Amino acid sequence: MRKKAALCREQSMIRTFGKIALGSMLFGTVALAPLQVSAQEVDGVFEAPDRPSLNFYGTTGLIDMPSGEALPDGTVAVGISSFGGTTRTTLTFQATPRIQASFRYSGIKDAGIGRFDTYRDRSFDVRFLLNRESRYLPALTIGLQDFAGTGIYAGEFVAATKKFSGGAIPGTVKATVGLGWGRLGSSGAIGSPFGSDRPSFTGGDTGGELSADQWFRGEAAPFAGLEWQINDKWGVKAEYSSDAYVTETGNGVFDRKSRFNFGAEYQVSERIRVGGYYLYGSEVGVNVQVQLDPNRPVSPLRLPAPLPYATRPPLKAGQQGYDTNWAASSAEVSQELRDVIVPLLKAEGMTLVAVKTTARTAEVRFTNDRYASTSIAVGRVARILARVLPPSVGTFRIVPVKNNLAQSTVVFRRSDLETLEFAPNASEALLAATQFESADPVLAGAALNEALFPSFNWSIGPYMKRRLFDPDEPVRVDLGIEASAQYQPAPGWKIAGTIQHRLTGDISDDTIRTPSALPRVRTNSLLYAQGSDTSIPNLYVSRQWKAAPDVYTRVTAGYLEQMYGGLSAEVLWKPVASRLAFGVEANYVKQRDFEDILGFRDYSIATGHASAYYEMRNGFTGQLDVGRYLAGDVGATVTLEREFANGWKVGGFFTLTDVSSEDFGEGSFDKGIKVTVPVNWLLGNPTSQTRSTTIRPLQRDGGARLNVPGRLYDQVRSGHRAGLVGNWSGVWE
Amino acid sequence: MMTLTSRLFGVVLLSALVAGCSSSTGADANKSLPSELFSSAKKVIAARGVGPVAAVTPSREVIQGLTEPVLQIDPELAGGSDFLRRVESRTDSSGRTNEVWRSSLKANVFLRNGVLVGTRGVGSDIISADAKYTTRALAARSNGSGTRSYTISDGDLTTTKYEFNCRYENLGAKNIVVAYQSFKTTHMRETCVQTSPESNTIANDYWVESGTKIVRQSRQWVSPKVGYFQFKLLRK
Repeated sequence: MRKKAALCREQSMIRTFGKIALGSMLFGTVALAPLQVSAQEVDGVFEAPDRPSLNFYGTTGLIDMPSGEALPDGTVAVGISSFGGTTRTTLTFQATPRIQASFRYSGIKDAGIGRFDTYRDRSFDVRFLLNRESRYLPALTIGLQDFAGTGIYAGEFVAATKKFSGGAIPGTVKATVGLGWGRLGSSGAIGSPFGSDRPSFTGGDTGGELSADQWFRGEAAPFAGLEWQINDKWGVKAEYSSDAYVTETGNGVFDRKSRFNFGAEYQVSERIRVGGYYLYGSEVGVNVQVQLDPNRPVSPLRLPAPLPYATRPPLKAGQQGYDTNWAASSAEVSQELRDVIVPLLKAEGMTLVAVKTTARTAEVRFTNDRYASTSIAVGRVARILARVLPPSVGTFRIVPVKNNLAQSTVVFRRSDLETLEFAPNASEALLAATQFESADPVLAGAALNEALFPSFNWSIGPYMKRRLFDPDEPVRVDLGIEASAQYQPAPGWKIAGTIQHRLTGDISDDTIRTPSALPRVRTNSLLYAQGSDTSIPNLYVSRQWKAAPDVYTRVTAGYLEQMYGGLSAEVLWKPVASRLAFGVEANYVKQRDFEDILGFRDYSIATGHASAYYEMRNGFTGQLDVGRYLAGDVGATVTLEREFANGWKVGGFFTLTDVSSEDFGEGSFDKGIKVTVPVNWLLGNPTSQTRSTTIRPLQRDGGARLNVPGRLYDQVRSGHRAGLVGNWSGVWE
Repeated sequence: MMTLTSRLFGVVLLSALVAGCSSSTGADANKSLPSELFSSAKKVIAARGVGPVAAVTPSREVIQGLTEPVLQIDPELAGGSDFLRRVESRTDSSGRTNEVWRSSLKANVFLRNGVLVGTRGVGSDIISADAKYTTRALAARSNGSGTRSYTISDGDLTTTKYEFNCRYENLGAKNIVVAYQSFKTTHMRETCVQTSPESNTIANDYWVESGTKIVRQSRQWVSPKVGYFQFKLLRK
């Protein structure tokens, strides 16, 4: 007895040791290791490959000049730079390995342009990597700077960069040479190879149009530079600039005494780099760069490991199959199974919707509340079924359901799950043996989870609203409290609402009211902010269901968004394994009142769109919406989005309608950028939440689409073949 | 320290994205984003106090009191030790034994004849791995060459495949002491060079018992972010 007691105590001591040790391992504390020369081999940790740095324009480059390199595929970078009264904030995205796009917001103090003290400008850049660096050839890039704006930064360039390392000098040296046009060809020009027809910048233009007939026209000037990355942390740069800063020096913003720029940069962490510079012989500048590679999460996801697959006992010799008598009454055993697996699914963060089993096949319909990827949920459900079901059940049909929409049916053979768990290419082998079928709207003869409905959720928390790009105050912020609630009385029905109360902020301090030739369908946002401190962003009733295995439908009525309320209906056709989907949406809405939070104004409109969605290779999704917009204009919106398998999405859109550029106003047509970040990428906890933000350089009244909660396409995609296959390894996790 | 900075950075960046003009999707209706942020920030701050932990050496009494198979794992980079129980052992038709070892904190390790072919719950896990040439070389205890591949999680529900060309060397007989017992073993080394695009090198060490051919002790690579683990079979 005494020995046993000692044993128990010691074993629990081991477990405590294990807890502390594994606990510290789980939080990733790194043991202090002695300084090692060849860290790679000894500790087995692979270093991240070298990344190019950004210039003052927020694109890959030296100091003020671009270089010939591209960022790693998929990188999202933000650069904030300031010198001589010019501040530039740029968002850059390496959309493909060769194409890099940027959106920039800049401010020039005391520029003397227009009526503003500080001249603020939005510009877009795009560049294309013509040649990847190889042993003898440099990296070569051709680029357009500010190609569709008011044109203060308009320029084009061709740049080549070559890396040198090894030899007597430590670190890496990069040499860049290039030729620039426009702003990049204004100093030290050597001629006009493609014609000299290029108008100079005039402030106050509406801009927004592509001035393709000016690209590479006018004088061209060379530029060059050297970058020396001394070690992991420090780098220095020197360049010869071809930008004469004609507008800025003409208006006395700063004095340009020299063509040479110098700077030093420090890599603060894997993602953040800062630099200090001496520019044009007269100015001191700073630059902060943040580069996020979607493929390197800030906090890696860590899931508690599941128990291994429960295997069936082997078939005895001479036996035809496993005993099937237990499933004489399908209805009865389905109910027994339901009672058993409801708590098991709940422990995994999932909710059972319905289950049906026969002697040979079991189908489970469930909702995934925890995991960002449906594939993990599917794998966990399969493990639970393997543990609980008798051996005769050889086929599992697993159906993820989202808000009463059964997304798809994933069909596994139980024997595949048992044999492939330790296979060297477990993910690919299982994918080859898995079938994806469409899911019937309702599972006939199933045992339902009675406890699901009615359900009620609510939450209270802070909220923050921002308003960007007002010329007088580029960032305006409102802070307040928000309460929201959701009531689901029956499958597919939802009554939801949100109420906000503004505590403090300066969004309503704005006084500018730009003229509009169109009905003010979107440019009234200031009046809504000024009208009332309390507002109801939405309050509605919605019902959604599947009309057929591949057809999803929704009807929503109520206060749909801050500015409109009414009725919205949508139909979406999307087969499980198809890249193509079609949808139709029709709305009838009235504009909401500014002060009376539940009232309406006189303006009402019927809007609607026919949409085509296409999932391309490499995670690109294209969407074309054709229809009628809120101001009564008719046209189309093109959206192109790149979605990474981990949930990151970066995309852009533009809308062209029958409204002329003059009537639209500044900007000429509606365009914007959308970025979505999955929360688990940042925090490392399993969660399915995402955060999206849309940035429009300008909000005008043309091409304005209604914001409706619960549009179908994104609800349905996560459980379809493309949404599962990208994260297929999750089935085994 | 690096991970603390990274996680704080993640929390700060997420706060920046909490701003309006934003929508959130995700059926986690009960857990609002601010509460996720707070719980994450709390974890990060708690982790600050925990310094590097030394590996544990269990006492003789503890070892003698063990009644089931126990595997000790010492993560080299993270420090400390973990003790795992065997929860599954399946031998297939060709004599290869796949074992699943599980720690009290729900991390799994898959061993095929003593060679690491999978992990779960470690973060940057090996989802699956090929060890055909390795198990063959260890069984024969002879020099040779072969290939190895690992499918490793990137920490964001995607995976990357790492493929290596490997060389096996018999470094001679060696007596080792594990759990206060002495074992006659052969020290085998597996040196692997990555095929593309980088050419990182890893080196795994195995101490194979002379009689039973069991891998009594080993040092094996897990993934580019985790580094090496040391394995000791305390009781088989």
